[in-house]
Amino acid sequence: MTTDRPASISTLAVDWGPEGQPGDTLYQRIDGQLDYPTDLLNLPGLLHGAILRSDQAHARLLAVDTRVARTMPGVHSVVTAEDVPGLNRFGIVVRDQPVFCEDRVRYEGDAIAAVAADTPAQARAAIAAIRVEYQPLPVVEDAASAENQPALHEGSNLLAQESLTRGDVDQALAACAVVVEHEYRTPRQMHGFMETEGGVALPDGNGGVLFRVGCQSGHRDVEQLADILALPRAQVSVEAMTTGGAFGGKDELTIQPAAGILALRTGRPVMIHLDRFESCRSGMKRHPVAVRMTTGCDARGHLLAHRVDAVLDTGAYASLGPAVLENFMDHATAPLYRIDSYAVTGRLVYTNNGLCGAFRGFGGNQATFAVESQLDALACKLGMDPGELRRKNLRSRQEPGSRGQPVRWTAAPATVLDAALASPLWQPGNPAGARWLTGTGLAFGAQGNGLGDGLPDSGGGRLSLTPEGRIRVEFGFADYGQDIAGAITRSVCDALGCGSADVEVVLGQSRGPDSGPTSASRSSVMVHGLLSRMLPEWTQTLKRLAAELTGQPAEDLAPGTGGLFLQGRRLIDYRELAGKAPPDALVAEAGQDFPVAPGQETPVGRYLQLQIATIARVMVDRLTGRVRVTDLHHITAAGRVIYPPGYLGQIEGAAVMGLGMTLTEDMPTRKGRMQRDNLDQYLMPTIGDAPAQRVDVVDDTPENDPYPIRGIGELGIEAVTPAIVSAIEAATGVRVRTLPVSPSALLEAIQAREAQS
Amino acid sequence: MQADPTQRDQIRVLRPATPREAVALAKTTGAPYIAGGSGLQPVWERNGSWPRQIVALNPGWPGFRGIEETGQGLRVGALTTLGELAQHPLIHRYLPCLPEFMDQVAGPGVRHLGTVGGNLCAGGDLSALFLALDAQVHRLSDDDPQEQCQPLEDYSAGDGTLMTALSIPDSRQWRIGLEKLGYRERFSPPRATVACVHDGQTMRRAVCGEGGPARLRSSETDQDTELTAGGWQDPALRLAIQRMLAFLQEDIARDH
Amino acid sequence: MKDGDQPLETIRFELNGQAVTRSVPAAAALIDLLRDGGQVTSVRPGCRIGRCGACNVLVDGQVMPACLVMAWQLPGRRIETVEGLSDDPDYLRVRQALARESALQCGYCTPGFALSLVSALRARRQGGPADLTEALTGNLCRCTGYGGLKRAIERHLGPDPTDPSVA
Ligand SMILES: Cc1cc2nc3c(=O)[nH]c(=O)nc-3n(C[C@H](O)[C@H](O)[C@H](O)COP(=O)(O)OP(=O)(O)OC[C@H]3O[C@@H](n4cnc5c(N)ncnc54)[C@H](O)[C@@H]3O)c2cc1C
Ligand code: FES
Ligand code: FES
Repeated sequence: MTTDRPASISTLAVDWGPEGQPGDTLYQRIDGQLDYPTDLLNLPGLLHGAILRSDQAHARLLAVDTRVARTMPGVHSVVTAEDVPGLNRFGIVVRDQPVFCEDRVRYEGDAIAAVAADTPAQARAAIAAIRVEYQPLPVVEDAASAENQPALHEGSNLLAQESLTRGDVDQALAACAVVVEHEYRTPRQMHGFMETEGGVALPDGNGGVLFRVGCQSGHRDVEQLADILALPRAQVSVEAMTTGGAFGGKDELTIQPAAGILALRTGRPVMIHLDRFESCRSGMKRHPVAVRMTTGCDARGHLLAHRVDAVLDTGAYASLGPAVLENFMDHATAPLYRIDSYAVTGRLVYTNNGLCGAFRGFGGNQATFAVESQLDALACKLGMDPGELRRKNLRSRQEPGSRGQPVRWTAAPATVLDAALASPLWQPGNPAGARWLTGTGLAFGAQGNGLGDGLPDSGGGRLSLTPEGRIRVEFGFADYGQDIAGAITRSVCDALGCGSADVEVVLGQSRGPDSGPTSASRSSVMVHGLLSRMLPEWTQTLKRLAAELTGQPAEDLAPGTGGLFLQGRRLIDYRELAGKAPPDALVAEAGQDFPVAPGQETPVGRYLQLQIATIARVMVDRLTGRVRVTDLHHITAAGRVIYPPGYLGQIEGAAVMGLGMTLTEDMPTRKGRMQRDNLDQYLMPTIGDAPAQRVDVVDDTPENDPYPIRGIGELGIEAVTPAIVSAIEAATGVRVRTLPVSPSALLEAIQAREAQS
Repeated sequence: MQADPTQRDQIRVLRPATPREAVALAKTTGAPYIAGGSGLQPVWERNGSWPRQIVALNPGWPGFRGIEETGQGLRVGALTTLGELAQHPLIHRYLPCLPEFMDQVAGPGVRHLGTVGGNLCAGGDLSALFLALDAQVHRLSDDDPQEQCQPLEDYSAGDGTLMTALSIPDSRQWRIGLEKLGYRERFSPPRATVACVHDGQTMRRAVCGEGGPARLRSSETDQDTELTAGGWQDPALRLAIQRMLAFLQEDIARDH
Repeated sequence: MKDGDQPLETIRFELNGQAVTRSVPAAAALIDLLRDGGQVTSVRPGCRIGRCGACNVLVDGQVMPACLVMAWQLPGRRIETVEGLSDDPDYLRVRQALARESALQCGYCTPGFALSLVSALRARRQGGPADLTEALTGNLCRCTGYGGLKRAIERHLGPDPTDPSVA
């Protein structure tokens, strides 16, 4: 921590807390001792499944002939739409996606049939032997005109249209001294989790199925799977195993329906693990957005008017598209800034371009890229410092949010901005280098926690003492590397004073408590809230029981490492206590709604708000137009840091993911076909592309704030894109508005400018 | 029945005892040579179809692996891995720019598998430098009992001849510039790799990448036309190539 | 070709210190030989075309993607995975460095990174390159943004001062 800055700002470092070292599960992961769902290859009787996917983006399905496939060596079962026992549809918001297509395929990758065989090679061979007859239909590929083209589903291709308005934007625009109008485009980014979609469905011997898979919401999946398999919910269970990354891309069902049907058919466990080619082709992506923004201010830089027209391409099925649109809209209102008049409209359309859904940032980072770029454009036109323009228009901590809703910050936006402007990186680069042109850019973003806009959002948890004397904490969240277990353990240790070895965290069991989905940066908030509800009373019970057993006064006892202590001496250990306590005496359960603003009938937007300002420094190669991001400095205000390694890793990881979206990552489609199918064509950052990063924390959360812990899983991606793009402009004079940045376009622009001067 | 695409497990691996036998086998079966397999396997995986047979090249064959001084320069065995090339003390002495450049060719794991011969036969990143150096290819062919030597520029892989080694002239006194443009900083397929070699008298330039490997012979003003004719369709990429070349040449001139 | 026609070969190699004899298709990928039946699950597929490093193994001490190593190349070679390195001093150093700096999240990629580092540490002792960051350019991690990996290298994996080759 440097001394010349306010005391509440600190630079984050890895800190393992009182115990001073990482927990065992980290070592298990390094040692390869932790099984991921697709590692479960030693199950007795395991069969391997494979899915036949459409090779057409849009077609009528005239015939699916599985006769040959059924006779192939090693094949146990071949299933198609006819074999779906229950509802042949799924989808989190709208159940519009077939498990297996009946008479029409809507994207290249739509599932048509599946096979279970003894070996993966046999399953693949059988898939190749299924004959499909298609009658091609016109492909809807242009999102902007999709709603005027033949509909993919009932009604039109306009799945959702929303608008948010305030004041009279036309009038306000007319009154502006300076107006900028630009169009922005963002790519179809792929989640790129290292473990592709996969897992096992195991028949339970009583007609039910257990899924051990990589997923994000076991309870919700159970509901959908029970309907698909025509089973009572009690017969379907999900163990959301530790999975090799998700980022939103495992929020919908992936391989579960096919694996479940095959498991029921064959009575044997069935593993399906998509390979990267299939994952690229059929898996979820980020919504590409095309947005036009018109933003104006008066001559002194006060923002007056802001108009937004956006089209989001959701692909062939709805998935979480409507919720992504909502979050995009929210961010497109420029929530950090005071703007009297705005009109934001967004349209979400069906096309035959694959499938888009939840992805870290959830529409918000796409909007922030455009909003922050607009502010830079205004500053440039006004000849004003971009920091100054932002400061002029920032909301204060007391003001409501951009939609008039109450919001709860953890620091004043001006504090965060000032910290960003004080960054050592925030200095002019050298735009006249012989080869490398350097520049710095800054962007600011806000982000809310929770599902938002009054969507039902609640969850529960459970606390108990196991017979072995371990404090078991159960939540329904899935662990995909965000190290939620580490954070929970740290919270329990901090609250109780016990050691991390005393705590056992159990996550993602659909038979356990339902905590709601592992998404929308909601888990940390829920965990904190639920633990605060359960722990005090549970601790009292613990002490009371210990007092009864030892004859010492309960108020003198304190839980610690291994057991309860009296004046620094361990009096009784947890194990003994567990053995002697009446059954169920030490079980606590709690549920709560996700925090919304007090007194709001129908909540608007999101109440719990976080901020991030990112400063980027780049080098642009004058010879080739390629861009290197050398440094990123993030100033974050996201409440109290309970688990520094997790916080740091989330911000750094999300930022590099955003860097990828800015510079190299896109899954373009042509006639509905994905143009990239593996990691040699779809290029994610390597360590050679990763910048030096520094993460600062501004924490002005009041001591008695009821929600001091916020979810930071999506924060790091919020502002990184506009910061990089702004830095590129500082280095080259060229503002990029279509992502990913094209080195070719940049080079041509650099050359044109050189020719001029 | 459905045409049954050959799967990986069904490939027959032919293991000739000698280089000669390899050439004969390749001729009679039409099967491809496989060296490290790092160029071939990704293509097969992607297409979902494998050849029925492959002819395995054996790094144990005399002269096929390793680097030695010849008096006129270096001889690099075709089955020398990219990793060995990057590490070799002789390379550090003769081509000091190469080890650092190799950090940008594939990744460490792939460099332990991939070979120099495979890289050149596939028109990979090494092509630009070795073309500009006027390297000579030693090759065996079915219709010739003698090992032949020909300029890399004239060598066409895939006609069944077997590359046994590469001869590189003694370049210790020369000036060399080498640049790769990828899609990202490391571990990227080459977009364009350029090399300039100045032997004290003349400047030789070569390029490889998306438009394929080529020695560039035209003057600077005609370079764009030459690149276009050579298959470089993307004007911005042509521009990048020319700017990289110009920069390297200036650098070399400045060094003098 | 019919199924019974598979060209099986008997192959002997060393896996984590144990002699192994397997009858397998000659062109089978090492990753499948290792994962088959869940024997060695730290070697994980992420791309199957050499592009991610999640399937890394050490072959005679050098890191390679197991998806590109074919069975016929194995005879006589020594294969190591993290499962077999629990006593290896280089591995223990790497493991400690990764854990301390929180260089992982989901951990799917981590054994592959660890093996790249072990391979580079061994090579460095033999006079190989000192830059361990370069040793990780063939591995992809989608979770961490590589910050923890960089810290692990900077803070914990510098040249070992007790190593005689560091002079
Ligand atoms: C992840 C990954 C990244 C890569 N990155 C790069 C990169 O950055 N730059 C780059 O240039 N390449 C790259 N490659 C491609 C490839 O690894 C290299 O070009 C490598 O040098 C090829 O050598 P190999 O021995 O593996 O070739 P193989 O795959 O065995 O063979 C390649 C071709 O050459 C032929 N061949 C091989 N040896 C001979 C011979 N002696 N005589 C005649 N024909 C022969 C084969 O028949 C085949 O057609 C990459 C590959 C992968 C998997
Ligand atoms: S699976 Fe082998 S490198 Fe990706
Ligand atoms: S930790 Fe998840 S991919 Fe690296």
